[in-house]
Amino acid sequence: MIVADRKPVEEIIEEVKDHDKILILGCNECVTVCEAGGKKEVAVLASVLRMHFLNQGQTVRIDERTLQRQCDHEYLEEVRDIIDQYNAVVSLACGVGVQFMAEKYHATPVYPGVNTVFMGVTEERGLWTERCQGCGECILARTGGICPISRCAKRVLNGPCGGSTKGSCEIHKDVVCAWQLIVERLKALDRFDDYEKLSALKDWSTDRAGGPRKVVREDLQDESKDT
Amino acid sequence: MQLKRKFETGEFAILAEMEPPKGVDVSTMVTNARRVKGNVDAFVVPEMSNAVMRMSSLGGAVILQKEGMEAVSQLNCRDRNRIAIQADLLAAYGCGITSVMAVTGEEPGYGDHHQARSVYDIDLLELLRATQALQEGKDMAGIELAGAPRFLVGSTVDAGAKGKSPELVIEEMNQKVDAGATFFVTPPLFDLAAIQPFIQRVDLGKIKIIPTVLLLKSLGMARYIQRNVEHVDIPDALLKRIQKSPDKVRECLRIASEMAKTLQQEGFGGVLLATIGWEHKLPEIIERM
Repeated sequence: MIVADRKPVEEIIEEVKDHDKILILGCNECVTVCEAGGKKEVAVLASVLRMHFLNQGQTVRIDERTLQRQCDHEYLEEVRDIIDQYNAVVSLACGVGVQFMAEKYHATPVYPGVNTVFMGVTEERGLWTERCQGCGECILARTGGICPISRCAKRVLNGPCGGSTKGSCEIHKDVVCAWQLIVERLKALDRFDDYEKLSALKDWSTDRAGGPRKVVREDLQDESKDT
Repeated sequence: MQLKRKFETGEFAILAEMEPPKGVDVSTMVTNARRVKGNVDAFVVPEMSNAVMRMSSLGGAVILQKEGMEAVSQLNCRDRNRIAIQADLLAAYGCGITSVMAVTGEEPGYGDHHQARSVYDIDLLELLRATQALQEGKDMAGIELAGAPRFLVGSTVDAGAKGKSPELVIEEMNQKVDAGATFFVTPPLFDLAAIQPFIQRVDLGKIKIIPTVLLLKSLGMARYIQRNVEHVDIPDALLKRIQKSPDKVRECLRIASEMAKTLQQEGFGGVLLATIGWEHKLPEIIERM
């Protein structure tokens, strides 16, 4: 999932301070799971903002709404009827949702309510860690299912770099050396010989090096046109 | 220092682009540069333009300066992070380079290493500000330097570029001026009228605008640019002039010389002659100027 973290409330207040009809818009997907932008967080932020404006003596209407997703047209359409009632939206979706919302409702300012951080997992409640950088050319088959692009500080592909100590990365002892994990995993899979195989030069053109990316599936596009 | 002096006295400066080799044989570069040594005030050494890997600008510039010729070293944001860029600025000054030009750098997709990962840790304005900070004796982390460089700092400006609003171009340029840039190189200019709306809003005495005069090599090249290079405009009359000429190369050289001469008459700070691979033709362009 996409992992986001709550934005400092002072920053959000600074974004919306000049508006008096604000919609706080949550998302029911990833940001709900990582407890940064779901229905519950929408309610909390709305309360904080109401208190703030009350203290300031400002009359500000703050409404709450949470959509199933903010990265699909059909769900964003659900606010079309009410969007004109507001002069600002604080979207608690990831950066994708904020942007899609802004593209759709061109004349309404949409502010981000979270900091989108990475694609990762919930290790335990309150602890999310990174697993994927979306490089566009997955190499997990070769590395025992552990990604050196997202988990190694230096993104080395034929690691380890030599800086790790007792399985920890040189940047911090709490960061596990991805290559230590890869080696252990390859051993467990009885594939340690694969460790000796040199990885081909990484093609970064599928990453951001080739500019903003898109996935085109003509078969699906054709299907949609037919129906 | 010749370039700085010319800018200060308001004399017209002649700059020429000198690409370092793709390899270590610098003899052609040095020979071509020597041919115009007395007539060119400084050589602008591009930093892997069009994302084609070759000897670095710093390397090329140091070699030219060792030969007694002034060089302007380019630094781009594409290939280095803020640590390396600052280090190279210090290295440049340490090696005697006193003029630098900050550029953004084209995406690797344009060049010959399509799969490369670009850096863009800092953007052009931040690069200029970093250069300014180094000159004030501090690096980007605010740590004091043991000796600060003193550069003549330049950058690029989209003046005369087709489809760009002059107001926007000026706004962008002013930000660069605030960040310490004092001279600006434009995209290739083939029609003085194209740059007029920009020039009318600029004090050419204060800000040195250096239009690029690109040597066309053939009618085909001119047509290709006209059709495919979005921001550059070649007037139809110029295309016809090349087409009608019995000696097209000579005509193209004449066109370049005339353009440079016109720029001098119009009060520009200087000209950058870009011959992309035909640096041996530089003497012919300059002698007709």
